[in-house]
Amino acid sequence: MTGPLTRCAVVSTFLRSFLIQGSWNYRTMLGTGFAWAMLPGLRRIFRDDPDALSRALQRHLEHFNAHPYLAGVALGAALRLEADGTAPAVVSRFKTAVRGPLGALGDALVWAAWLPFVAVAALALYWLGLPGGWTVIAFLGVYNVGHIALRVWGLRAGLAAGRDVAGRLTRADLAGWARRLEPASVFLIGLLAGALLTAPDGLREAGAAWIGLAALAFAGGLVGGHRTWRPAAMLTVTAVALIAAVGVLT
Amino acid sequence: MEILRLGTLGGLLGLDGTAVGQFMVSRPLVAGALAGWLLGDVSAGVAIGATLELYQLVSFPTGGARFPEASTATVVAVGAAAPFPDVGAFPIAVALGLVWGHLGGASVSLQRALNTRLTPEATADASWGSVAPSVVAARHALAVVMDFARGAALTAAGVGIGRRVIGALAAAWPLDAAASRGLVLVGGAVSAGILLHDKGGFRRQRAWLAAGLAAGVVGARFL
Repeated sequence: MTGPLTRCAVVSTFLRSFLIQGSWNYRTMLGTGFAWAMLPGLRRIFRDDPDALSRALQRHLEHFNAHPYLAGVALGAALRLEADGTAPAVVSRFKTAVRGPLGALGDALVWAAWLPFVAVAALALYWLGLPGGWTVIAFLGVYNVGHIALRVWGLRAGLAAGRDVAGRLTRADLAGWARRLEPASVFLIGLLAGALLTAPDGLREAGAAWIGLAALAFAGGLVGGHRTWRPAAMLTVTAVALIAAVGVLT
Repeated sequence: MEILRLGTLGGLLGLDGTAVGQFMVSRPLVAGALAGWLLGDVSAGVAIGATLELYQLVSFPTGGARFPEASTATVVAVGAAAPFPDVGAFPIAVALGLVWGHLGGASVSLQRALNTRLTPEATADASWGSVAPSVVAARHALAVVMDFARGAALTAAGVGIGRRVIGALAAAWPLDAAASRGLVLVGGAVSAGILLHDKGGFRRQRAWLAAGLAAGVVGARFL
């Protein structure tokens, strides 16, 4: 452990990191959650000085944002800096410096790569015939292996490296992992499309017209990107409402 | 009583969306299975959940962004469709889930605005100031409890309203089961296209896409 930080304090901080977004707000974003997650460690560091603890807590309420799975990197590093007696202004500057990269790296690795990869795999397995309950268990199991591993790694890296955690982040090459998932993700998108086209509870029994429309919709999303998502959902809702109205009126 | 249980489930799953854990039990696939399990029909829940998951493939709980809240919406869709055996219950429930997701997203934004008033502010000047640990812990916990209450109320209201809507429309639904499935899967196919767009597009990835497509066609025929 690092100086006054006990294993118990570190484990407590790790568990609290799961609730770091509990009071997410538009002023300080993760600020309150960050301070609350730091509390077990700060209590150990300032155990003989309640006033210093209150002041440290107040400092960590400042604006902070990061990907929640990687916020542990900043939590660990900030705890290490506090334990080493680093000046408050330096700790604050460090947090300001890392919040952008931790957000961008987390978004690229988790939201844009890992989650779609596992979700598409689960949907493909479901439409290939895996029972729903097993599909859900497989999805949660596989996804959370990566999720928990990233959180554990982040807090440990932050605690070990302190202010020099940027080097650890670079060596871990998180963005590279996201890129390496790309071909497998595309294969899974194809697998899902194939399963949807031919599975009995997919489009096979709906007929050629629906298959053609689905191919057009897929092409629309491919060409138009994210700006087509909301119109597609609205169009679906409108079509369902119109067909239901026709049913009621005829 | 059933609506109360579904509301509690919606509240808990809503927490996973942002506030607590993000273990992805809030994803539609999981939320649908859990709501179906609560109502005694897991496969019906997964059928709705998987369809909504297809739509939500490109919607992620990024911190500051406003996104549809899929967890409460899926519980609403499954809970609203459950009492109705009609073919029309499925597509209407999916459409209801899409609409309710946006209402949920708006309520999350409102909750975050309330949190802004609730949470103590840092003092950025040289004197730094101080705050009692109990104040930080209490405000943080209150925000989590409020988020649970928001999700639970939103879900219970959605199931109540949704059952009335589906009850009024499902029996007269004119399409058969296969066409109804086709209708909602067409909208979901857009998300799969967007995902491929994000992964580099057709030209760059066509070999991997073709390999997957072939494996999917063969797999669905023989598995």
